[in-house]
Amino acid sequence: MNESPQGRAKSEISFTVNGKLESVHVYPMERLLDVLRHELALTGTKEGCGEGECGSCSVLIDGTLVNSCLIPALQAHGAKIITIEGLASDGRLQLLQQSFLDCGAAQCGICTPGMILASLYLLKKTPQPTLEEIREGLSGNLCRCTGYMQIFEAVAEAGRRGAAT
Amino acid sequence: MRAHPAEYELVAPRTLPAVLSLLAQDSGAWLPIAGGTDVMVQYSAGKLPSRKLVSIWNLPELRRIEISAREIQIGAGCTYTDLRAHETINREFPLLASAAAWTGGIANQNRGTIGGNIVNASPAADSLPALMVYEAELLLVSAQGERRVPYANFHIGYRKTQLAPGELIRAVCLKKQFSGYYAHAHKVGARNAQAISKVCLAALGHLAAGVVDDLRLAVGSVAPVPMRLAETERIVKGNRIDPHLIQLAKAAAAREVRPIDDIRSTSPYRAAVTGNVVAEFLEQLNTHGARSENSKNVLARWNDLSSEKAAEEILPCCGTKAWALAMTNRRPLLDESALLSACDEVWKNLPESDWIEAFRSHPRIGDSHAPASATAQSAAWSGEEQRKAGTAGDDIKAAIAAGNRAYEEKFNRIFIVCATGKSAPDILAILERRLRNEEAAELQEAAEQQRQIAQLRLKKWLSK
Repeated sequence: MNESPQGRAKSEISFTVNGKLESVHVYPMERLLDVLRHELALTGTKEGCGEGECGSCSVLIDGTLVNSCLIPALQAHGAKIITIEGLASDGRLQLLQQSFLDCGAAQCGICTPGMILASLYLLKKTPQPTLEEIREGLSGNLCRCTGYMQIFEAVAEAGRRGAAT
Repeated sequence: MRAHPAEYELVAPRTLPAVLSLLAQDSGAWLPIAGGTDVMVQYSAGKLPSRKLVSIWNLPELRRIEISAREIQIGAGCTYTDLRAHETINREFPLLASAAAWTGGIANQNRGTIGGNIVNASPAADSLPALMVYEAELLLVSAQGERRVPYANFHIGYRKTQLAPGELIRAVCLKKQFSGYYAHAHKVGARNAQAISKVCLAALGHLAAGVVDDLRLAVGSVAPVPMRLAETERIVKGNRIDPHLIQLAKAAAAREVRPIDDIRSTSPYRAAVTGNVVAEFLEQLNTHGARSENSKNVLARWNDLSSEKAAEEILPCCGTKAWALAMTNRRPLLDESALLSACDEVWKNLPESDWIEAFRSHPRIGDSHAPASATAQSAAWSGEEQRKAGTAGDDIKAAIAAGNRAYEEKFNRIFIVCATGKSAPDILAILERRLRNEEAAELQEAAEQQRQIAQLRLKKWLSK
């Protein structure tokens, strides 16, 4: 990171990311988004608007969907964080990721990690969502390419395939 | 200019007293941050009024919802998701629950807090008109102690509040005094989620013998602070709702607001829309009044029937004799909400054999033949309930028929789903999922579906 103009102290902040315990030395007000990308090189989490409007930086904290651009690092201390990198395992895509591929739900890809995490959060609560529930679940995630229909279809398909289980 | 994190301090005491003693230092130098949905936006833009922040996110003292006989106290740190999920808030303060659902997208609802929304004091915040009509009170706490203030006077100007330096909102108190009120909320914005309102109405009305004896109207986005439409309320109260009164109220509401022109909308548009949403509410209140009058008449007649006749009349709503008898024994039931909550209690406590009897009174989904045991009324309602599902193509129909057979083989009873409003593909997806259930979980799901069917049928019965 840059040099500090006033030299306030950095803190030791620890959390679990995708099942792995991590400890970082950062300013408490650093955005979780920046910590994930710059300190931990987890660049799957994207910055879109930087003000909680677009959902590109979505991650799960203790199972809850949040915008990581609005979380100061200190507030994540002790948390269990899941990012897009935590979904596939042993070289196999999670069912939601596969459904996005199969349904053509990704185009430029910037919104896709956030879309998938918001969808995962939705399916955990509502395993077989209706179209209306999918629209609501993804209402905080913006996509400039697809027109959304393929994304909605991918989430419905993942639900049918049992992605939440 | 973008903020640099090195220029900011952030601490996170573990208890409320520790936060309050910090806030008491340096006369307001410390800025509280809860879920960050407003503060972090200002921070990133370099617009925060202070460089010393204290986290109050997830403090247990601020995240409780306490219910007493008289009121509900909602901790200021409760999120919009907490509010949406809370049963008492949904039942008794539906305007707050719907405003919570309109606030931001899901991720922001998981972090945005009711206290933060109040202190941020945006004139466009969707939950604030609801707090106005429920006449909320705020508990303000500081190192010196606690005080209780009416929410109505809390906003003293554009983004200015009564909060003193060192003070926090601890809880929002709502009195439980609105049973029997008709509640209505309407947000006018470019889209539902993540869109800032052009006009947002929260309204409560109560009718006695056809006359409006109480009315509370509050709107957001049409003045520097959320406001009650006091003049419009005065014009309507004590009168019967008719087209002339609605015209008067519409004009008064449009006159009363003080909207601005901004990038989202113009002042004349906002004033006109305020009049329209008020008129729409009054029309609905009137219809609701006529309907609840009608329900009361149906129930008054039913309350006076012999037990045998009363049970016979209500039987088609659920299809099990034990339920019909138990409902009959609970008479007198005076209004719709008493009837519906009696239904839920009776249904929940029936033995499994009675649940099965209710399931058997329905035709299979996609099947036009009602079972021989079903009453004519039950068969007619089944037809209405499955109307939407009946318009599917042959392949979907065949898949549902095959699913029904597999279900009956696995669970030894027919598949029950509350079909009202559901399309055939929706039902097929539900059927396929529930086929994977274990027996005990599936029985509970089927019972819940039957409960929903009974609720809808009771409402139809009351509107006859």
